Amino acid sequence: MSTNANVNRDLVAQRRGSLLEKLYWAILLAVLVVGVYSIITGYFMEGMSSTNLSNQVPWGGWVAFYIYFIGLSAGSFLLSTLIYGFGMDKFEKIGRAALLSAIICMMTGILFISLDIGRPDHIMNAVIYWNVTSTMAWEIHFYIVYLILLLVELYFAMRSDLVTLSQTDSFKGKIAKLLVFKKKEFTDEDHKHDKKLMKVLGIIGIPLAILGVHGGTGSIFAVAKAQPYLNSALFPLIFIVSALVSGTALSIAIYVIKCKVKKEEIDRSMVRSLGSMLALFLGIEIIMVWYEFLVGFYGLEHEEMGTIKLIMTSSYSWTFWILQMGFALVIPLILLVIKKTKESINWVLASSIIVLIGVVGVRFNMVIPTLIMPKLEGMPYGHYSMNLSEWLTTFGLLALCLIMYTLGEKLLPIDELDTEENGVKEHE
Amino acid sequence: MVLFRKNELEPEDYSSLADGFVPNPDEVLKTSQYDSELGKNMARDARKVIGGKLKIEDFHRVYSASLLREFGDQYASAEAPNPTNSSESGPRWGMVIDLKKCVGCDTCTVSCKAENRTPPGMSYNVVLETIKGDFPNISVTNLPRPCMQCDKPPCVQVCPTRATYKMKDGIVVIDNDRCIGCRYCMVACPYGARSYDFGNSYEEEMMGYNDVTSPEYGMARGKRKKGAVPEETVRKCNFCYHRLQRGEEPACVETCIGDARYFGDMNDPNSVVSKLAASPRAFRLKEELGTEPRVVYLR
Repeated sequence: MSTNANVNRDLVAQRRGSLLEKLYWAILLAVLVVGVYSIITGYFMEGMSSTNLSNQVPWGGWVAFYIYFIGLSAGSFLLSTLIYGFGMDKFEKIGRAALLSAIICMMTGILFISLDIGRPDHIMNAVIYWNVTSTMAWEIHFYIVYLILLLVELYFAMRSDLVTLSQTDSFKGKIAKLLVFKKKEFTDEDHKHDKKLMKVLGIIGIPLAILGVHGGTGSIFAVAKAQPYLNSALFPLIFIVSALVSGTALSIAIYVIKCKVKKEEIDRSMVRSLGSMLALFLGIEIIMVWYEFLVGFYGLEHEEMGTIKLIMTSSYSWTFWILQMGFALVIPLILLVIKKTKESINWVLASSIIVLIGVVGVRFNMVIPTLIMPKLEGMPYGHYSMNLSEWLTTFGLLALCLIMYTLGEKLLPIDELDTEENGVKEHE
Repeated sequence: MVLFRKNELEPEDYSSLADGFVPNPDEVLKTSQYDSELGKNMARDARKVIGGKLKIEDFHRVYSASLLREFGDQYASAEAPNPTNSSESGPRWGMVIDLKKCVGCDTCTVSCKAENRTPPGMSYNVVLETIKGDFPNISVTNLPRPCMQCDKPPCVQVCPTRATYKMKDGIVVIDNDRCIGCRYCMVACPYGARSYDFGNSYEEEMMGYNDVTSPEYGMARGKRKKGAVPEETVRKCNFCYHRLQRGEEPACVETCIGDARYFGDMNDPNSVVSKLAASPRAFRLKEELGTEPRVVYLR
């Protein structure tokens, strides 16, 4: 009887699970469809006039989301290099997921910034007529190289499992068969070769991610001396550290949520040490932000003071005090330092989720307030808030990001096969 | 003698009159230490060059050898031009704006808009008006702000496609056919002098606005059409480049009611702008940024 009841309960749980999954897909697809509609009616038919951008504020929400996703990508990639480049094997479980999220976030970031380009028909000019003094031209090239490196690295991280999978007859197996190029078995020599290659790629990737992709994206803003608030050498560094913060938070969130959905056992010690890593990064960021503002205040530069005043006291100052200071710095730091909450998986998950929400505010405050501040006395203050079309497009792209990630998880061996089998065994 | 003739003077009489007053050129030239025949031949051929009957290259080829023989080291041949001279040759445009003369009438803004047919929300030139102090002790400053045409332009530094660049004559221009519309230059410009063409139009309130795009940089682009260049690219003041090509001043300079604007060649030390730019009243905006603007204000 008891076994029967167990089976029944499992079935109910399974049915509820599949219902939830259907709901998840339905919502994502609906949001995506609305987003695509707004891209077509807005971006493609109206151009940039479909946004609330103006000549005072030429960069807006899409740029903020673009650097948000670039940050997520660089952060989760750097986390994966800790595993593959420096052999921190205790995090190996999240290695592939971190790589996959790095790829998907990078693609989403690039999608956001391509929407911000006024003339997509001229876009190849950035590659043909490369201006070597332009940080943005360098970024475009770095993004391409970085994306290729990420794809290659993920492929070799999965190869052993792909070979195993290609023997099975499922849909996943068929995809694996396509990807392994007729390779039948995975020998120890292959294993060694791949591990070495992963190490090399991971180490090449570190300067590429830090200096090229994320430090570089920070430099796009930091080199603009017309914007004294951004024009500081600390700015790219803050960018990198906040990338590490958001990337670590993303990896924690993905891992814990995935385990909860699949009802697998959570590796508590790993989540805890990831949590303390997040706390460390938050600590570094708080110090840097402190000095950035301190030096900014003492500079007494009219525009910088004006920008700081806008950030801290304007009607949008809640994005600074609640999102940037609260959600992205202080609250998670407190949660991850207090003994009671840092031991609890749910609190660690909660703090990483509020970090992910808070960093959106951080990115908005990097882009918009400094542009709102007039550049010459007598010029008007700009004003900007995202309009409906921009929000719909943003949510569409966010849904696309989640869809791409979930598809990647479903179709590729992102979880290591051994752990999956163990889970099944324990379940039985 | 012709002077004592009763009847009217004929034209040939005048020339014979002149023959008496003006010394014989051949005799004068004989006193010169240089070859007179060469000089006369060169003068004859120079007239041909001006008349378009002879190419300047041929002229140099013919006379190069004899000139070298005649003048030796002092003669610089046309085949080997002085390299330092060639880079500095030609005008380098600059503008001087006298703030004491500016009354803040915005004529420059209006004429600029009419000349360049800028769409709604875009103005290459604006007049920034600031009022300082409390009534009755107030002072008003009107600061006309065209593009500064910086000698070290931050916008050119950051453009990913080299679509915006500095020309030899000092003007910073935009190749709208290359611009990708990323608006990075607008973020990098310390003077807010760049605007993005969002594709707006006055057509609804002003008939025929879309009939022609302004011939910026001398490019005839025909009708203003949705999605056609220069829409969705960045635009800016270019000292009315198309007017300069015709030998005219920029529209704002020509229409300024108080003659507060001066335009000219900063390379020429004797030009009005060069002299005014050397005045103790002269200053440039945000000099501390090191952008070296070519627009000089007189305070």
